[in-house]
Amino acid sequence: MDRTDVISTLKNKLPGVELLSVAQPYPDELRIKVEARHFKQTCLALHTFLPSPIMMQFGSDERAAAGCFTVTAVFVHIRSAQWVSVTVDIPPGAPGFDSLSTTIHSASLFEREIREMFGIEPRGNPDLRRLHLHDEVWPQGNFPLRKDFRQPQPGALSGYIFTRVEGDGIFEVPVGPVHAGIIGPGHFRFSVAGEPIINLELRLGFTHRGVEKLFEGKTCADAVRLSECVSGDSCFAHSLAFAQAAEKICGATIPAQAAYLRAIFLELERMYNHAGDIGGMALDVGFSFPAAHASLIKEAILQLNEQLTGSRYLKKVNAAGGVAADMAAAKRALLLATLKRLKTDFQELVKSLYASASFMDRVDTTGVLRRKTARDLGVVGLVGRAAGIPTDLRRVFPGVHREAQFKMALQESGDVLARLRVRVFEFEESCRLIETFVGKLADGQTTGVEPQLKAGSGLGYVEGWRGPVLYWLKIDSAGLIERCKIVDPSFHNWPGLAYAVLGNIIPDFPLCNKSFDLSYSGNDL
Amino acid sequence: MLIAILNILLLVACAPLVSGLISGIKNNLRMRRGQSVFQPYYNLAKLCAKEEVVSETASWIFKAAPLVVIASMLTAAVLMPWCIVAGPLRQAGDLLALIFIFSLGRFFLALAALDTGSSFGGMGSSREMFISSLAEPVFCLVVFTLSLQFGSTDIAAVSGMHAVSVASIIAATALFLVTLAETARVPVDNQETHLELTMVHEAMVLEYSGRRLAFIEMAAYIKQMILFFLIAQIIFPIALPVFGGVSEIMLWLLWYAARLVIVAIAVALVEVSVAKMRLFRVADFLGYAFVLSIVAVLCALLGV
Repeated sequence: MDRTDVISTLKNKLPGVELLSVAQPYPDELRIKVEARHFKQTCLALHTFLPSPIMMQFGSDERAAAGCFTVTAVFVHIRSAQWVSVTVDIPPGAPGFDSLSTTIHSASLFEREIREMFGIEPRGNPDLRRLHLHDEVWPQGNFPLRKDFRQPQPGALSGYIFTRVEGDGIFEVPVGPVHAGIIGPGHFRFSVAGEPIINLELRLGFTHRGVEKLFEGKTCADAVRLSECVSGDSCFAHSLAFAQAAEKICGATIPAQAAYLRAIFLELERMYNHAGDIGGMALDVGFSFPAAHASLIKEAILQLNEQLTGSRYLKKVNAAGGVAADMAAAKRALLLATLKRLKTDFQELVKSLYASASFMDRVDTTGVLRRKTARDLGVVGLVGRAAGIPTDLRRVFPGVHREAQFKMALQESGDVLARLRVRVFEFEESCRLIETFVGKLADGQTTGVEPQLKAGSGLGYVEGWRGPVLYWLKIDSAGLIERCKIVDPSFHNWPGLAYAVLGNIIPDFPLCNKSFDLSYSGNDL
Repeated sequence: MLIAILNILLLVACAPLVSGLISGIKNNLRMRRGQSVFQPYYNLAKLCAKEEVVSETASWIFKAAPLVVIASMLTAAVLMPWCIVAGPLRQAGDLLALIFIFSLGRFFLALAALDTGSSFGGMGSSREMFISSLAEPVFCLVVFTLSLQFGSTDIAAVSGMHAVSVASIIAATALFLVTLAETARVPVDNQETHLELTMVHEAMVLEYSGRRLAFIEMAAYIKQMILFFLIAQIIFPIALPVFGGVSEIMLWLLWYAARLVIVAIAVALVEVSVAKMRLFRVADFLGYAFVLSIVAVLCALLGV
């Protein structure tokens, strides 16, 4: 099925539905507009035949220009390498749309988000509790992403109702949002029968900062810096996704040198996070020697980052139109030499983990996320690949990765060990990719272009270390950002964690959690 | 009598140092600079100076438990034959009494953890009881091995008058495994973790603060000292030289301390080289210890 076939198949599947408009503004984006009453039908059809979970769904306040709200659902079609979006206009009177969540689980959190941010009702969604704007502090009737929102007006406050598990010997164990370690805030409510976990309910949103609102009205140059702060361990992936969206809208083609440099930095970010996580898993089972070893590797990569770019976390590297950092011959030599050393170190680390019976006993068959569950929940990225979902944006949209014959990690068992193995494979693959890309760099090449300001909208996407980071961006005619929707892979994967821990004992939760290692700030925005 | 009391005070005073030493060794093995070996003393001093917070729902048990815990450990320390044939209260209790005194402290700590009604306290208590119900029988059998060799459950059985035998070596190994469990060490528990959900001993004492927490920690140090002393005494039995010059006494003291350091190094090595077990695997682990202790008893009966 190629690009045009998507439309013809869709028309065949939906005989009574009129597609108001079909546009292909960029080769990788197919935009469909339908009437609001056909939204659910169209989305269900795309969800089944593409097949794709809802990769992002968002509202937008277009009342000033078009007199209505819009809601857009974005799917990915892997075979033809394009993003398929369905948009509907929603009249501002009593805004609402038919909920997808009873059929497509991956829509449910997005719908709750649209409801709290815009006041657009997802009709038929059984769970309307707010995600980020906590009922205890944020008065009802305030919708911050509406354009006319200024300050929250006083209004009724309410509480949050947790799911209750009833039965003999069932206890509730509430944990968080304040934890003993230096980690993000999240509330976990376990229902346990003795040690085994019967149900886990997550309540997040404690780091909600109104990031999407902060983007509005900013120039692209300022917004790149802001995107670096969305999730601290994915600075580069986020700024890259933003920059790509901006470049797409401006019609800027970045120089090849910049594309290689970006690929290198993206892999470096993946490497330091994977090394840190592998160490974290060892630490969470009290296996402290390999944990110390892994933290040395992570630190070496962070120091390498600093030597290459001046920033340990690769901040201020990306810009709309290219990258700010160049890589002269001396730096390339340093990079290759460090990689060589790290590879040996890493192999030793992996060997010490795989050779330890006590460690393997902890990770094997712990926290299993089955493939069917993962698919139904719309789990993405690393966690998805560990559960047998073969999706990696670096393979779907290869770009420079095609030249390096990128190999995707894939595991079937979906347990902590599978997630560990995916990380190990990806770390080694990242080393190889960087070596290939470094060979393509040359001295004295331009690494950026000055983008021409243009109005429009576009999607930027990057396979960060956790999974796909998506930025849907709309720029107005003055070159300022009108709407920016961010989806961090954590948003898709938190529900996966709640399922992976079922049936495990409570003391294994931290290990399961670490093997997912999801972002609080990327989720809460 | 005075020397005996001084001796006990000295060993109790040195007890936190053993913990400091173990973390020091562990940090060195892990290429870290780490804290000073005297950190446990600083911690105790800090806790004693801190304000105490007591949950509103806590009853007198919560307040009394730390006193019971520290008192029981001090009693156990007084019974121990640290250097002379037996402690000053030799008549007051034998080796079996030691086991019951340990249980008394643990019982009150578990009760106090339940008292505040926090979910972590409950988890900690249930896990601690699960582990100790498996560890205690092993401890008993180790004691029987020693008594069989000595011919009495008198505490003098570990006073250094016996010869090292196959039975005592096996008994010491079993005791070593139990010690890992009793002192909240990897692979049974992890003292360094911040993860509330995985804790055992720490989960029980999470609600404590200030001076009462200092009591509980001090009690844990003393308990660790007693167990280490027992292991050292079984494997490297020594008694105080009756006659001898200053240099001989100094040499003896050095060897006395070195035995404890050897046990500490062994614990530290185990702690860095294995991962913590899944909670329910602890039953297997202490099962091995139980089998070892039975073998030790059999060996003692056969006289090897």
